[in-house]
Amino acid sequence: MSAEEQEGVRETITKLLAGGLETRTEPFPENDKQFAEILTELREVPAENIERKLVIAGFVDHPFGEDQYRCTECMYYLVHRKWCDLPELALPVEPEWWCRLWRI
Amino acid sequence: MANLLWLQGGACSGNTMSFLNAEEPSACDLVTDFGINVLWHPSLGLELGDNVKQILQDCVSGTIPLDIFVFEGTVVNAPNGTGNWNRFCGRPMKDWVKELSDAAQFVVAIGDCATWGGIPATAPNPSESVGLQFLKRAPGGSLGTGFKSKAGLPVINIPGCPAHPDWVTQILVAVASGRGGDLSLDEFQRPKTFFSTFTQTGCTRNMHFAYKVSATAFGQRKGCLFYDLGCRGPMTHSPCNRVLWNRQSSKTRAGMPCLGCTEPEFPFYDLAPGTVFKTQTVMGVPKDMPAGVDKTGYVKLTAAAKGAAPAWAEQDIFVV
Repeated sequence: MSAEEQEGVRETITKLLAGGLETRTEPFPENDKQFAEILTELREVPAENIERKLVIAGFVDHPFGEDQYRCTECMYYLVHRKWCDLPELALPVEPEWWCRLWRI
Repeated sequence: MANLLWLQGGACSGNTMSFLNAEEPSACDLVTDFGINVLWHPSLGLELGDNVKQILQDCVSGTIPLDIFVFEGTVVNAPNGTGNWNRFCGRPMKDWVKELSDAAQFVVAIGDCATWGGIPATAPNPSESVGLQFLKRAPGGSLGTGFKSKAGLPVINIPGCPAHPDWVTQILVAVASGRGGDLSLDEFQRPKTFFSTFTQTGCTRNMHFAYKVSATAFGQRKGCLFYDLGCRGPMTHSPCNRVLWNRQSSKTRAGMPCLGCTEPEFPFYDLAPGTVFKTQTVMGVPKDMPAGVDKTGYVKLTAAAKGAAPAWAEQDIFVV
């Protein structure tokens, strides 16, 4: 995905989330088995179906939870590309967003 | 000349294969340059049947002075503590192990199975396997906590699955050349010269560890394997990135997570599905932190490190 394409997808996601897209922020995967189940569900989603990915992953456009965790702390987040490097997502994101696949 | 006897219990011969790959010194150098007389070895010994038994009996009786007794593989106690699942030269191997250990100047356990039980001792441990002086972290094993060989040392544990050939040959040379007393052992009786540092020490991915950039698939040349792929390099004591394998590389350098095979708990989590090659987390935070790091410090460090990460840390910088 080129930088321009990434920016376009990022804008699309921003609009979806700002428009009140309801995503599955709960339940947070408490262990690796639950985490793997979400990944399995994501693998069945076509790459171009971004909205579905956002819903399953539980994306929100703000820090989340008691500790206000954000993409920027997540190990899958690439700071300079503003990119989620989790293969099942592989999406441009913003540092202040969050999803329930957050890991540190 | 130092007499060495090498036997195998519940073993796959992996440590023997590793040992035979030794280069500096090689297995041959041990004989020609360092005066080690190999009385018998399962892959090298010429004797068969009763002739092997005679060698063992002569070692036990003292007719042949036994300087170094090397054991590879677990001590098998099944069924019901008899050891009959692993018989050798007419009797349970565990009986030979006991008598030969008592007769030897030095006893050296090679590989995870001989040191603390390894994979065969994984629950439910049907072969009732134990290591020579440990079962996983618990002291005792086959010879008991109080065991000391004639030279006054406990079993010298050289763990690994397999142990690196240099770890084996260098310890054997030290013992054979009269410097066994200089060996300093850690709490698990591993030579400190090899097992004080971590697998991570010398890892080429340390910059990615520092900047919290994760590898997300095997063989990737960018990213640290600790965050997602279950690498145990930051918690495992071994010199795998200081004393390279085949003098070329290591698991982590090649994109393969460290499995922690020099630690007593190996294989971790009893090989439960989903625990191998996957970092175990609780609420998104690793269960097993790098040695000496707590959760609060880890979270703070991560936020700071990612914020400071340079662009190159996210790219594949190892160009072929």
